[in-house]
This record gives sequence, C-alpha cells and structure tokens, in this order.
Amino acid sequence: MTTRTFIKESKEMMRDGRIRIAFIIVILLLGAAVWISMRQYQNVNARYEAAKAAEREVWDNQGKKNPHSAAHYGTYAFKPKYPLSLVDQGVDKYTGTSIFLEAHNRNEAQFSAAADQTGLARFGDLTPDFVLLFMIPLLIILLGYNSFTKEREMGTLTLLKSQGISYWKWIWGKWTALFLPILLITSVLFLVASIVLSNLQDFGVFKWESLFALFAIYIVYYIIISNLVLLISAKAKKSGISLVISLCVWIIACLAAPKVASNFAEDRYPFPTRQEFAASVLKDKKAGLDGHNPWSKESKLLEKKVLEEYGVDSLHQLPFNFDGYRMQKGEEHEAEIYLKHYNHLKDQYIQQSKVYRNLAFLSPYLPTRFLSMAVAQTDYATHWDFADAAEDYRIATQKFLNNNFAQNSEYGNWSYQADAAFYKQLPNFEYDPPELNVILNRNSSNLMVMGVWLLGSFGLLFFIPKNL
Amino acid sequence: MITTNNLTKMYGDFTALNNFTLTIGQGAIYCLLGANGAGKTTTINLLLNFISPTSGTASINGLDVVKNPIKTKAFLTYIPENLMLYSSLTAVENLDYFSGIAGKKLTVSSLKGFLEEAGLQTDAFDKRIGAFSKGMRQKVGIAIALAKDTKVLLLDEPTSGLDPKASNEFGLLLQKLKEKGVATLMATHDLFRAKEVATHIGIMKDGTLRQQFVANDISLSKLEKEYLNTMDYKELVL
Repeated sequence: MTTRTFIKESKEMMRDGRIRIAFIIVILLLGAAVWISMRQYQNVNARYEAAKAAEREVWDNQGKKNPHSAAHYGTYAFKPKYPLSLVDQGVDKYTGTSIFLEAHNRNEAQFSAAADQTGLARFGDLTPDFVLLFMIPLLIILLGYNSFTKEREMGTLTLLKSQGISYWKWIWGKWTALFLPILLITSVLFLVASIVLSNLQDFGVFKWESLFALFAIYIVYYIIISNLVLLISAKAKKSGISLVISLCVWIIACLAAPKVASNFAEDRYPFPTRQEFAASVLKDKKAGLDGHNPWSKESKLLEKKVLEEYGVDSLHQLPFNFDGYRMQKGEEHEAEIYLKHYNHLKDQYIQQSKVYRNLAFLSPYLPTRFLSMAVAQTDYATHWDFADAAEDYRIATQKFLNNNFAQNSEYGNWSYQADAAFYKQLPNFEYDPPELNVILNRNSSNLMVMGVWLLGSFGLLFFIPKNL
Repeated sequence: MITTNNLTKMYGDFTALNNFTLTIGQGAIYCLLGANGAGKTTTINLLLNFISPTSGTASINGLDVVKNPIKTKAFLTYIPENLMLYSSLTAVENLDYFSGIAGKKLTVSSLKGFLEEAGLQTDAFDKRIGAFSKGMRQKVGIAIALAKDTKVLLLDEPTSGLDPKASNEFGLLLQKLKEKGVATLMATHDLFRAKEVATHIGIMKDGTLRQQFVANDISLSKLEKEYLNTMDYKELVL
C-alpha cells in the first residue's frame, strides 16, 4: 500500500503544472546560486592566494631594519574561504577577510565583503544556503499542503476509508512521495557541489565527511519540515487553511524565530560598542607596562627587578638590550589585556549562542542554520578560532622580533638593524580550522535539538492523524 | 453476507437508527427506501464502521465490523452517491490504486478487462477521471468491486442524478454482480430502480425498518402506495 500510494501521489504531483513550474524555479535558483557561489569562491581564493604571496614577499624583502620598526610595519593574516562556503556562506560576508598584525595592538578582521557592497546588498544574495534553508521548505509546503486535505475535498477519503486502509502505511506512502523529490533535488545539489569541489584547489581543508555531514543536516531539516507540513494537512479541514497555516509556520520558523532569538540574545548578553571596547582596553593598557615608555613607574619597577635578578648595577651591564626586553614585556602585558577583553567578548558570544541554542526548540531552522554554518566553517566560532590563531601568531611574531632586538644589540642602541635574511626566518601564518568531530562536539546541543524535532515530528505525524 | 442485529445509533436523545435487524445473503440485493433522515445512510456508515453503534452488532461475512474493521472492509466495496476518484489519474490508474490497496496485484490488461466488464467505453480507459460523467465514475466503482472480487456491495443513492440510460446500465451491472453471489445493500429514493434490481425491499422511517417485501411479490404501484402510506403522504396515494 505504501508503494502504491507513493506511485499515485507522485503521478498526481508530476501532472500538476504548478508543481512542475515550482520545481523548475527551485532547480534554476539552485543552479544559479551554485554557479554564483563557485565564481565567488574561485575569485576570492585567487585573491587570497595572491594577497598572501604578495604580503609575504613584502615582508621577506623589507631589507635591513630595526626589528621593532618591522613590528610596527606589520603584516597580515589572511582568512581563506573554505570549500564548503560554496554551500553555506554563513557570516563570512560580515566577518572580514584579513587581520593586520602589528606591535602593541590586536586588530579586528577587516575588508568584509559586505563593506564592499552597495545598499542594494540589503536585498540579500542568491546563495545555495538561501535556497536550501528558505526555498526548499517552501517547495515542501507547495508539494504537501494538500496531501491529506485534497482527499477530504475530492471525496476520495471516504472511498479510501471504505477500503480498509492502514493509516500508517498510507501516511508513509504520502510521506515518501513528498520527501523523495526533495531528497532528489538536495542530492543533485550536493553532487554538483562535490564535483565542483573536487575540481577546485582545496587548500587542504576540504573533507568529504564534512560534505556528507552537511548533506545529512539538510536532509534531517527537510524530513522535519515534511512531517510538519503533512501533520498540518492531516489536521486542517481545507487545503486553503492548510496552506495558510504551513506558510505561517514557515514565516515563524524561518524568518521570525531567528530574529527573535537574535534580539533576545543581544538584549540579554550585549556586546560593548566599539568605542566602549577601545576605551576599556586603553584604560587597562595604561595601567600596565608600556614598552615604549622607559620613564613610567612600571618600567622602572621592571628595570629594578631585572637588575636585581642579574646582580648588576646598570642596564648597560645586562647581557641583552633592555630596550628590546622591555618592549617584549610590554607586548606580553598588552597581549594579556587583549586576551582579557576578547575573552569577555567571547564569553558574551558563548552566552548569546547558548540563548540561541535554548531557543532552537522554537524552530528547526535555528539548529540547522547553526550546524550548517559550523560544518561549512563559516560561523562565528570558526572566525573566533581564526582571530585567536592570528593573535597567537602576532604575539609569536613580536617575540621573534623583540628577542632579536634584545639579543643582538646593546641597551640604548636604537640604530640596530637586523639583517634582511632574518625576516625570512619568520614562519608563515598557518591556520587549521577545527576538525568535523570538534565542530560536532561543539554543536552537540544543536544536534540534540534536531533529534528532538525529528522524533517529535514523526511522533506527531504518525499518532495524531489516526482519526482522519 | 450482511447481518445486523438490533443495530442502534443515537446522537444524544436523537435516535438515528433503532433496533435495525437484517440479513442479506449471497446474491441478494436489498434496497432500503426512505425519506432523507430515515436512517439509510446511518446503516451504511455503521456497516462501514465509519461511526460506532450505540448498541447492537453489524457483521460482514460473519465478522463483526467494529472488532474487525480492516478485515471486513476487505470483503466489501462502497459506492457513495457521488463516487469521487483521483481526477488527475486515468480510469486504469484509479482502478489499479484502489484494487492495489485492497491487496490485488493486477496487470493492465486485467484492469482493462474489469473496466470493460463494468461497461466503461474502451476509449475512456486511459483518460483522466476529471473528464468523466457521474455514470462513468460509477462504472469505475463497479470495476473496483469486480477487481476486488467483492462479497458485499454497499450503495448509497448510486443512481441519483444519473440519466435513465446510465441508471439502467447501472441496474444491469448490479444484476451481473448478483449472479456472482455479491450481497448488495442499496439505499435509494428511486422506487422504480429498486423494484427493477432488488430481491428484497425495505422501507425505513425515523430510524426504524417499517416494512419489508420480497421484490417479486409486490408490484411497482403497490410498492409506491406502501411507501407513501409509510411516509404518511396519504393525500398523495392515488
């Protein structure tokens, strides 16, 4: 009976002109979105490679120079575009693509794609994740809103009931007929994505298991949406009512719930404004050692401590250049300040994420969105990881430069210049994004919420409509 | 075989069916006559287990319809006043689906054979039901009964709205099913058709079976007179 109902429903769908048109529209949108994303991905990564190489060349060829001048001269950490951003671009557009690494300051990522766009960008981009998260659920609604109500309206339900149908098998047949076309579309999209990705330079971070995980996340999302749409159709008296309720659920789940969750989280755990943040950092920095100011109280205390430690009377008697040493200690103090303030930001972000996760029970869209961005490595957590790695690299770079200054010159000798070859010894910035198992562990609550949605929606679908 | 024993259905204080007792054997066609609200459709709905009886029992082929809702339906075919089928599917596809969910696996040629036996024109087999007249849809309904090898046929006003030719064809189909041993219960207002096709006729009023006749023992005019008297339309009796 399940197979026969599946075949019957599929024939009815294929013969419905509206559904054929909707299918064509969604497939065209998906094709266009993948093509646009692929072009964007190729362009961004080509620019990334070029910028990375050019910046390293500039660093390597800066010539003889005082190491602290080189520290102020700075360099850049570039954020690569990860292969799965082809499917979900997440928050990449807003988080910036490069971080300027210099002495004394931790800078935020800059040159975001959003900043380069005009006001028209407010209308949004056509991306695969837009089609996957918003358009395909709409297609599910279009395919399934009248799945049960049409039986009532056409009068076929009476005939079916008189045939002694098994409700479970009947519902299962309808469910299969609704879900299989969606599975087909999604599979085609991911197949195309896998072909495209396997032909692109992958920067060593593309993992097939991540693509499969992403596919599985969307499939679970569509199963939940299909269950909800069929449940509404089974309980509604008329197709029109079923359609309106389904669309309302879509609006609440996909449009309203994320904004409510975002506003609620922001309200409960607000981020400081940029000015407040800068003022707090400056205040704390001033309260500690400034590597450039040998006359401050903190510098004098450091001087006294070092002289005592080495048992000498003068800074000139030290086996290293105290200016370089103080510069490094100043960096370490500033790094601590930045760590403290960025950890506060991170705590706020973690708290906001917890609020999001708790509100994920409101809508299956929320856990899907978080998981999708996380697996695609385009979420804020990945950006934080990248920013932290860049900061670690900045601190290590400052140490590398200050140590050279301290070890190879005498106190007061600001005219010291390190060899041009020295700068080439600085290791490249390498960043490995978190592995899939780490990502899934971080998102265990989102996985759990999706599991609850999946089981709950199946339970409701198969137990509630028994009295059709 | 259809059997009811003191079958009663009440909605609050209102008695829709009162102690209805009846047996329809193999090859019998029982026509239930009565005005709207007499309890004809309630009887059919109880036999289909669409509603539960307040008291009494109903059984199909010896199986209680309440205790064996799926098994009893395997024996029967129900054709309502307006038989609605899937409009975007063809006659063959509809027949395939409905016989299929009843557990029959039939080839296209045998499906067409049943449609032909039910009197549907050959050129309509592969046409979508959406364009079918009521009479054509009723024929597909009969084809479902034939394909299912049904033992019991429940008909609720099947000839209402049919033109005389279609109504006559439908009557002939019932005769064909009768010869196959199908027990038929038909609720109708159509005295003429009842007299034509029935082996037994019952007249219902206010949920009670008031009179029963063997169809061959009563003339159409006598049946009409008895019907009008039962309905208290004495001023209409000629």
